[in-house]
Amino acid sequence: MIRTYMVGAVSALAVLGSVPSIGAPPIKIGVQAPITGSYAEEGQGIERAVKLLADEQNAKGGLLGRQIEVTTCDDEGQAAQAAICGRQLTNDGVVAVIGSYTSGAALAAEPIYARANVIQTSDGTSNDLLERGYKTWFGNAPPNSAEAEFTAHYLVDVRHFTRIAVLTDHSSFATGLADAVVADVKAVKGNIIEKAFINAGSQNFTPVLTELKSQSPDVIYFSGYYSDGGLVRAQMDQLGIKAVFVGGDANQNVAFAKIAGPAAAGSMIINVPAPQDLPYPAAKEFVASYKAKYGSLPPSVYTLTNADGMRAVMQAIEQTKSTDPAKLEDYLHNMKDFQGLTGTFSWNDRGERMGSPFVAFEVEADGSYKILYPVPKAS
Amino acid sequence: MGTFVQQVFNGLTVGGIYALIALGYTMVYGVMRLINFAHGDLCILGAFIGLTMLTGAIGSFQPGIALLLLAFVVAIVVVAAAGLVLEFVAYRPLRKADRLAAVVSALGASMLIENGIMLIWGPEVHVFPAGLLPATIWHVAGASIAFVQVMIIIASVLLMAALYLFVNHTRFGTAIRAAAIDQDTARLMGINVNRVIASVFVIGPALGAIGGLFVGIYYREAYFTMGWTYGLYAFIAAILGGIGNIPGAMLGGVLLGLFNAFAAGYVSSSWQDAITFGLLIAILLVRPTGLLGERVAEKV
Repeated sequence: MIRTYMVGAVSALAVLGSVPSIGAPPIKIGVQAPITGSYAEEGQGIERAVKLLADEQNAKGGLLGRQIEVTTCDDEGQAAQAAICGRQLTNDGVVAVIGSYTSGAALAAEPIYARANVIQTSDGTSNDLLERGYKTWFGNAPPNSAEAEFTAHYLVDVRHFTRIAVLTDHSSFATGLADAVVADVKAVKGNIIEKAFINAGSQNFTPVLTELKSQSPDVIYFSGYYSDGGLVRAQMDQLGIKAVFVGGDANQNVAFAKIAGPAAAGSMIINVPAPQDLPYPAAKEFVASYKAKYGSLPPSVYTLTNADGMRAVMQAIEQTKSTDPAKLEDYLHNMKDFQGLTGTFSWNDRGERMGSPFVAFEVEADGSYKILYPVPKAS
Repeated sequence: MGTFVQQVFNGLTVGGIYALIALGYTMVYGVMRLINFAHGDLCILGAFIGLTMLTGAIGSFQPGIALLLLAFVVAIVVVAAAGLVLEFVAYRPLRKADRLAAVVSALGASMLIENGIMLIWGPEVHVFPAGLLPATIWHVAGASIAFVQVMIIIASVLLMAALYLFVNHTRFGTAIRAAAIDQDTARLMGINVNRVIASVFVIGPALGAIGGLFVGIYYREAYFTMGWTYGLYAFIAAILGGIGNIPGAMLGGVLLGLFNAFAAGYVSSSWQDAITFGLLIAILLVRPTGLLGERVAEKV
């Protein structure tokens, strides 16, 4: 498997034989990803994204007059194999490694890259990845707390809601998100009027909603799942509740609009957009060339956050005119407002992604989504 | 005031549905001393059959009132037939067997129907078409009452009144009541008890199918595990009213709906079910046979 991919990379280089950098040694970038196993689709997405970016850059003459060479190692999504990949890629002399997809695989290889001083950028969000404080670690996906933070910011700072009601079911996911939103709304001095509960699947939410209505909220934030969310939305309409419906990420499902019916239009949902829905021109361009080259859309937004890791590394090499890890790490830690495919972000000194890819969608009358915030703009 | 009226209507709507479903439990129990645990799933089968009629048969046409009525008729006929088959296959062979055998058979039938629905229609949430009924909403005393709620409440009341008259004022109804009191004596009086038993397995599921389809039309969604949720609530409504007693099931359903609405509305939404069922336990401690359940005590 690995050999096939290597042959692919080499032949891609052969095609580009006319570029002026022949002779200078290539800049090696590693990909550690689950090319096989349960997460194969995601892993192959990461490899394809990195190769696409490398090919595009090489067509423009490469970096610092040198070609980029991508080496992939299949970690199968397993910790043991990930450690082997770590050694293999560092022995190959890569400057940076993009991936892996799972936190576990990234974690197993993390100390190996740190000791070899190789930059590692992965979508892993486990807190364990931050624990050792490795300066080689750069998480490219937002931390788990980002959704609640974004939601609080959107409700209070963007929409200026002053009477916020939070509705949740009893699941650990939904209550966890609801509690975090309540805490974050309070942190930005927002006003929570009530946190109420529904029984998921019980369908009859009118008693709770009637009680909420009597407190005249201007927004009802629902952290549970779409099958209940659609009903909550429909029953709000039936009861004549004028508050805006804002749903958490689990409400993003085509069935939401179908269940909510005519009430769906105008509902808001907060989630990371699917790759093809990202509002940024660079992202649209990337998704289009990905589709043109591979015949399918990127499997998930994590393909694009890893692509952002690759883009940041390339920008660092270009700006510092160096492949010295110390200089690159320094640049990446201090880089401000990096224009990613998944939104603007920077890295703090722990390598945590600051700046979330979350957006607030409005559900349209035909069930499609329109991003309202951040306001789509040409960048 | 508006909030109170609203909660009453919230409770009555869902209470009417619980009551329709509870009748199936209570009639079967009254005649056979058997809890038909598959009843909730039969009701939801009605919702799915109605859904197929409303979406499958007509393609892209907007379903009208005629089609809605047809959906009800087909759902009622199919579910009543399923009830009859269920009685014949799952309960009749066990009529002389230990009581526990019939209970196990009922639980097995419940799983069979539930998983059958999943295999036929799939495990995802199914959505009923919008605009089946006028979207009229009346504003009464500060409360918003939808056309579909009024329709469900009126239809439930009419159906229950019809059933009450049938059981109390017709020859066959008298036969049902006689069989409920004592099957052997009823047989001696020339009553065909097998026919009586078959009839409660037709009437109960038929009413349940209407309740199930109301659920689908009101909430506009159906999924295969719903039978368990509604079956449990309706079963509890039947117990609350006094199992085996037909007006009791009606009262129990409506009270359960109202309890639930007031618990969520005036106490705490996170304790909604705990309060509802706590109240239920308190009532049963005072009246162990349920609110209208004297007849059961007589029989035991």
